Amino acid sequence: MRQRSGQEVGSRAGTYPGHVRGVWTWLRSHPRETDLALAAFVVLATSGESGADPLVLVVGAALAATLLARRNYPLHAFAVAAAIAVIQVALGIRPGGGYVVGAWQPSVADITIAILLYTLAARSSRRTALIGLGVCLALSAVTVVRWSPERGGFHQAGPHTAAPTLGAAALLTSISLTAWVIGDSVAYRYRVAHLAALEERAARLEAERDSHARIAAAAERARELQERRARAVDESAARLRSIERDLHDGAQVRLAALALSLGEIKENLEAAVRRDGDDGQARTRMLVGAAHRDAKETLAELRDLARGIHPAVLDRGLDAALSSLAQTSATPAASSVHIAKRPSPAIEAIVYFCAAELLANVAKHGHASAATVYVTEKDGALLMTVTDDGVGGARITAGGGLAGLRERVQTVDGRLVVISPDGGPTNVTVALPAHA
Amino acid sequence: MSGHLRIVIAEDAAIMRDGLTQTLARRGHDVVAAVADAAALLGAIAEHRPDVAIIDVRMPPTHTDEGLRAARVIRSEHPGVGVLVFSQYIEARSAAELLAGSPAGVGYLLKDRVADVSDFIEAVSRVAHGGTVLDPEVVRQMLRASRNADALAALTGREREVLALVAEGRSNTAIAEALVITGGVVEKHIASIFAKLGLPPSDSDNRRVIAAIRYLES
Repeated sequence: MRQRSGQEVGSRAGTYPGHVRGVWTWLRSHPRETDLALAAFVVLATSGESGADPLVLVVGAALAATLLARRNYPLHAFAVAAAIAVIQVALGIRPGGGYVVGAWQPSVADITIAILLYTLAARSSRRTALIGLGVCLALSAVTVVRWSPERGGFHQAGPHTAAPTLGAAALLTSISLTAWVIGDSVAYRYRVAHLAALEERAARLEAERDSHARIAAAAERARELQERRARAVDESAARLRSIERDLHDGAQVRLAALALSLGEIKENLEAAVRRDGDDGQARTRMLVGAAHRDAKETLAELRDLARGIHPAVLDRGLDAALSSLAQTSATPAASSVHIAKRPSPAIEAIVYFCAAELLANVAKHGHASAATVYVTEKDGALLMTVTDDGVGGARITAGGGLAGLRERVQTVDGRLVVISPDGGPTNVTVALPAHA
Repeated sequence: MSGHLRIVIAEDAAIMRDGLTQTLARRGHDVVAAVADAAALLGAIAEHRPDVAIIDVRMPPTHTDEGLRAARVIRSEHPGVGVLVFSQYIEARSAAELLAGSPAGVGYLLKDRVADVSDFIEAVSRVAHGGTVLDPEVVRQMLRASRNADALAALTGREREVLALVAEGRSNTAIAEALVITGGVVEKHIASIFAKLGLPPSDSDNRRVIAAIRYLES
């Protein structure tokens, strides 16, 4: 709809011949100059026509003023001009016209009023414009009657003929009508363009409102997802912890008790052999020995598994967990933790596994003689830095250990930064939120 | 290392508590109390003044390090009571905490070690008599993490084995048995180890352990 109106306006403008459009465009783009020229014309024309009548000069100046004010105050300008016309008629002043060219020539005042009518039609509501047209037509009628030859007007035309009167009436009427029609068409175009602009503005506002709503919805969704993820991360940490506990309190302790029993059976059998010198139970002893070994190996495997699921030492806090890590690090390492409040268990677990992996990396690749693990807080974020004095050159490569760590860190919106110039030292920092 | 010991057991898993109680009883020891948490443990220690307490690290209510903390309390309030802490995991830090002060009458073992019943009973007995017992895992971790990796690198494989057994608190005879070598060879190894590590030789098993641990920790 909006599109089509725009095209209509465009095509209408396109129907004018080029030079007319050029002049029109110039006039429209220089309103001040146009009005000054018109005002100057009115002043000059009245002074040229009037001889030395000062009253006529005053009228001319007043009319010129209405022209200057027409764009900003179309109704006032028109009303003033109409009032001037009425006064003119009442006082018998008739600037322009008759003296020079002919009885039916329109006066400067007529032209001024026509211009003001055009302005009124172009800029005011149609109702006002129609009233203006009515006023103009009435004024024309009064003018024609007032200056009719019968009453001494148009005295230079042939006396006692109706023709000049009718001609003047027709001319004044057609001037008024033409001015009104042109003005009205301009107003129409303006209204169409204005409507189109309004529609466009409305559509733009609607689109803006839509996009604001979409952004707000997206932000809301992001917040919701973030909360859900935090819950999921916490829940999974809690679940891992509870699995480790179940293993500890269940399978591990039962297996340890079983290993204890098997150990006793084994030792009893061995004692029996030593006591009696009888090895009739050799096969049983062998089987029990194998079962005992299996139980112990399973215990060790289960321990590694449980530790991988959730390092129990983490329950004592990051300081204890990291210092344990540092103490068992193949490269001599020290740890220090400077945080006021414990982060959530999920975050602690990530910090722990990152530190373990990074220390293992130091031992494997760093050729370092010492490493440090340093944990601190900054602006609500948890920072863990592992530094070593090795050969440097560590890079995050796709599928590598550091890339895996980074992925793990990113699951909670954390970051991993590696600073490792060739020649060392290497500095890997993990930044995490205090809560997932 | 024999004789009838008065023992308190603190272990929250009934199956393990009962298994240990029966095993120790069968070896002629007297389990004067078997409790399931740290508060009951401290009560039992005050009441019975046993020779040794066997303590699980993780007990109610938090299942973190109740046993370890109780062990430290016992060590400071009842220095005559040996504490053997056993745990599903070995944490070097926990070992260091336990050994702080004097390592006499302290043990720290993986729970798995109960499977080798005689060794376990012997460890209990050593701790009860003021000895020090560290799990081979502790020794392994400390050796690996030693701040004196270069000095340790000078040790031969056999010497490392001997050092690990020394750190566990074993006597020369026990080490000889474990490695199937003669006592003289063990003495030679130990002299060589101490020379390489720059430690003065000593008669006392305990002081050997202390020296070794201090060195490894330094």
